[in-house]
Amino acid sequence: MTKLTRRDVIKAQAVAAAAAAAGLPLSAEAQNLVTDASLTDLKWSKAPCRFCGTGCSIMVATKAGRVVATHGDAESEVNRGLNCVKGYFLSKIMYGKDRLTQPLLRKTDGVYDKEGDFTPVSWDEAFDIMAKKWKATLKEKGPTGIGMFGSGQWTVWEGYAASKLMKAGFRSNNLDPNARHCMASAVGGFMRTFGIDEPMGCYDDFEHADAFFLWGSNMAEMHPILWTRIADRKFSNPHVKVGVLSTYKHRSFDLADISMIFTPQTDLVMLNYIANYIIESGSVNQDFVSKHVNFRRGNQDIGYGLRPEHPLEQAAENNDKAGGSTAMTFEEFAEFVKPYTVEYASEMSGVPENRLLEMAKMYADPDIKIMSLWTMGVNQHTRGVWVNNMLYNVHLLTGKISTPGNSPFSLTGQPSACGTAREVGTFSHRLPADLVVANPKHRAIAEKIWKLPAGTIPAKPGAHAVLQNRHLKDGKINCYWVQVNNNMQAAPNMMEETLPGYRNPDNFIVVSDAYPTVTCEAADLILPTAMWVEKEGAYGNAERRTQFWHQLVDAPGESKSDLWQLVEFSKRFKIEDVWDAELLDANPEYKGKTMYDVLYANGQVDAYPLEQTADDYENHEAKDFGFYIQKGLFEEYAEFGRGHGHDLADFDTYHEVRGLRWPVVDGKETLWRFKEGSDPYVTPGSDFEFYGKPDGKAVIFALPFEPAAESPDEEYPFWLSTGRVLEHWHSGSMTQRVPELHSAVPDALCYMHPDDAKAKGLRRGSGVRVISRRGEINLRIETRGRNKPPKGLVFVPWFDAAKLINKVTLDATDPISKQTDYKKCAVKIVPMGA
Amino acid sequence: MLGFAKRIWSAIRRPSVHYSLGFLTMGGFVMGIIFWGGFNTALEITNTEAFCTSCHEMSDNVYEELKPTIHYSNRSGVRATCPDCHVPHEWTSKVARKMQASKEVWGTIFGTINTREKFLDHRLRLAQNEWTRLEANNSLECRNCHSEESMDITRQSTRAAEAHERFLFTGEKTCINCHKGIAHELPNMGQASLTGGHSSAQALTKYLAPD
Amino acid sequence: MIKIHAIATALVFALAGAAFAQESVATLRAGTPLAEQGELPQIAKRLNTDLRQVRNYPEQPPLIPHKIDGYQIDINVNKCLQCHSRAAVGDSQAPMVSITHFMNRDNQFLASVTPRRYFCTQCHVPRSDAPDLVENTFVDVDQVLEYMAGAKSGDN
Repeated sequence: MTKLTRRDVIKAQAVAAAAAAAGLPLSAEAQNLVTDASLTDLKWSKAPCRFCGTGCSIMVATKAGRVVATHGDAESEVNRGLNCVKGYFLSKIMYGKDRLTQPLLRKTDGVYDKEGDFTPVSWDEAFDIMAKKWKATLKEKGPTGIGMFGSGQWTVWEGYAASKLMKAGFRSNNLDPNARHCMASAVGGFMRTFGIDEPMGCYDDFEHADAFFLWGSNMAEMHPILWTRIADRKFSNPHVKVGVLSTYKHRSFDLADISMIFTPQTDLVMLNYIANYIIESGSVNQDFVSKHVNFRRGNQDIGYGLRPEHPLEQAAENNDKAGGSTAMTFEEFAEFVKPYTVEYASEMSGVPENRLLEMAKMYADPDIKIMSLWTMGVNQHTRGVWVNNMLYNVHLLTGKISTPGNSPFSLTGQPSACGTAREVGTFSHRLPADLVVANPKHRAIAEKIWKLPAGTIPAKPGAHAVLQNRHLKDGKINCYWVQVNNNMQAAPNMMEETLPGYRNPDNFIVVSDAYPTVTCEAADLILPTAMWVEKEGAYGNAERRTQFWHQLVDAPGESKSDLWQLVEFSKRFKIEDVWDAELLDANPEYKGKTMYDVLYANGQVDAYPLEQTADDYENHEAKDFGFYIQKGLFEEYAEFGRGHGHDLADFDTYHEVRGLRWPVVDGKETLWRFKEGSDPYVTPGSDFEFYGKPDGKAVIFALPFEPAAESPDEEYPFWLSTGRVLEHWHSGSMTQRVPELHSAVPDALCYMHPDDAKAKGLRRGSGVRVISRRGEINLRIETRGRNKPPKGLVFVPWFDAAKLINKVTLDATDPISKQTDYKKCAVKIVPMGA
Repeated sequence: MLGFAKRIWSAIRRPSVHYSLGFLTMGGFVMGIIFWGGFNTALEITNTEAFCTSCHEMSDNVYEELKPTIHYSNRSGVRATCPDCHVPHEWTSKVARKMQASKEVWGTIFGTINTREKFLDHRLRLAQNEWTRLEANNSLECRNCHSEESMDITRQSTRAAEAHERFLFTGEKTCINCHKGIAHELPNMGQASLTGGHSSAQALTKYLAPD
Repeated sequence: MIKIHAIATALVFALAGAAFAQESVATLRAGTPLAEQGELPQIAKRLNTDLRQVRNYPEQPPLIPHKIDGYQIDINVNKCLQCHSRAAVGDSQAPMVSITHFMNRDNQFLASVTPRRYFCTQCHVPRSDAPDLVENTFVDVDQVLEYMAGAKSGDN
């Protein structure tokens, strides 16, 4: 194959881009078959998909510096050659014509002005003003005056570099990922029940289970490739059953043997009913429960995570100790769930008794291997941690856990929600490998690995996602940096709680993105950012699988990766700018250094020379910093987990394999954790060991039904649920720029029951105002199609930048996890013009 | 029993003592109109969508499924109601169908399909009844609205036009052969192809060894 | 190579556009301020032309060139296969499902379409008349080859 010089590549890229921009027709009729191998050979490389948490492996073809094709990786165990429609169009996500190519600063007459127009500036000027603003705020307000909002789309080392920058460099815990909107309740569930994050099982469970139950998950659209594994299992093995639970009918019901449409919030009732049924039918696995389980009564009446002055918070008894619990016995637990009879569960949920009974019987039957799967229906819930706990309850009562096919499985929504947000710990209360800032021992471990003086990391958890926006509005956070996410389109109650903070004249908002999103629109400085295979990266998927990729093409214009931006920005600060005199006087050896020296050129991160980078792949960050920075960050990070149940393999291995599921011990990945024989961390002879807890026992929690934060009433008679569609990913900033995906699903619509529409004099296509107590947007009514809500509920997807449903949603969160409930608020629907 | 019948017979045979022949003839005629009219009115009441969907078996299952389809809501607003497709227009067939339908009343009273699950269990048989009927009458109820002569295939998609030319106009197939499931969800079709089987299993036994 | 020059000129203009200050950047909102709402488009109409589109690359699943409103693909029946199954294409003259669709997870061919490919609309989607929001500058591999062939023969 002809070896192209870098100059050739750039030239080819420019011409090719121009050819596309000029819209030249393909001269297909004039061409014969091209057979010259030097032309037709494509360079194929692996990369994980850029979209959801499934973590499909993709083969990417490059030619002349461009991605020219992609397909599902046949060697990948996750997807075995398949992609969903979004995945098949990955080739086009980087090529929207409006890619940002240079930093843009709001200016009037050549100087920064919050109300000015976006004006191209150099990286130097961009970092100059950022550093100026950061330093001024640090001086005035200290570390809590700055904040950063990252993402489960950061690569592992980007999240890790950000965590160091914020928690050790700026000494601020105001770092949170958008995974807070997505996975926080799942994390809360894992930590409360098992004391260690992430699923015990893995995707191999799909080929072993006899029954699947979906609790608030539309896998057919949101995890299509995992859905193909369920479809394969079910259709190939006629005994396999599928049950789907949701508050409206969607595509996953197409595969359901048992369809259950339930009244919002009553998942709490149904899960307690199943626990009750298991106990009353004598199906408790007594041996397992007595050896491996403790029982605890969770605090009740825990509030709704609203602003403290809200009447619901004033009325709540335990919102300051929402996660608290007290020990109880099995008998007390049995007594607790006794009122949750099938009659009560059916009355509350609206699901017919026979279906509830059929489901409960399957959960109780020791011979039926069950996989429970859930995503946002459970996590985006003001009692999300509870529902997670209660799902584990029913699996623990029967001992159906940690063995092939017996698997309570929390799915994730972002490509590295697990790998970055959770494992690296980019939450406001976390550190890598499940450590937390509030624990002095944990801080000491981090400080030791990071070669920092004791006391560097602040002990108080920072502001979480929703609180960051409140702090911006209230002027408590004045400098704010958003990377790889589109929170202006995602964050709840946009008009009252998000936009005012970004446009608060006291605040300076920086947004790093590849495309000019609505969040960019609300920013003061926009930084053009390299995406996906324009940089070397690593993601961790929902089954603990860590996957790497190389940089395959160059980013357009002056775009730089988030990693480059974070590390380069650190050079702008002397350690004296960010650490107080007390800390420095006690540790004078740090004086005079830059933040970059302390955090990144620390003898560890810069330990791997450039020569170790791959010969046949470009690596701009490594070249710019002069060392293999990705490897250095990864190896330093991996130290947190090795020997502590989070073992990662060595860096180079991941470039060779199709990912490995941690803990990777002696080169072997772990498929089922907590089970002797499959998990090397389990003490021999114990059979099962939930080693995240000091006594090795998991916890079954007694938790009641409590109502939603806002329910329909006379004035606002409809439930509003929001969510995604198959063709678009999250806020649509990538997929809306792929013409084929946009054409397939061009607009967000308001899905409504035809009888509700008729009763209001509306019809398919009617323009309506969807109004809540907080805001409103205009939408068209859809009475057909893939989503079929029951009467009294409407569904609106949130991908559409032109129709921001987060103007309507409620900023109530789970008080334990701080995750927003995007699935429940009350709205009214009136015809446009009324 | 025989004696009772004889007494009735003799009463009918005997001429009237109190009423004139004219009165009786006219009276009989009027009563006939009233009864006949009443019968037909009652019949027509049972021939409305409101009647059909008055029991929850229909409204929760087949009617709910009809709502998102083109036979419920479409461009021109001409829509099909239940009897348009499921009750013959011609009188004798209609009465015959109505007599069959009395079984459905029985079904309602005894709850044969009073849950979704039971309905689904019976769905294949119920659907097959309708398909068989429509195949036998050359999709008569379809054709009551969709007449072959009035079809302007230049206004159809190419795909539809070609299919109609090849299969419908030649009489090779009738509407229901291809358009099963157009107004309600299809039952489990199992391994059977929607277009019909391709070879009879029986004919193959001489070539195939049991597995 | 007049063509290339024209392209390069177009490129210069395209890049120059970005050098101006902009009041609004969010392309997908077409200039509508965040606090306001733009005009509400009608529900897009599904294209039903039966005209197949050129694939961006051979691995791309073809788009569906016709309406699929109300097509049932569920536990009971797959409407698409009424025309696209191996046995049906004689009557329907529709393209047969690709042979890749007969392969199981282990790349073995099955007697019929693999259940993992059962839900067609996970990969194949229909089109609508909605205009593109943003142009996409993905370059078809044939154009790249044309350029490279030119570069190889020193023709630019």
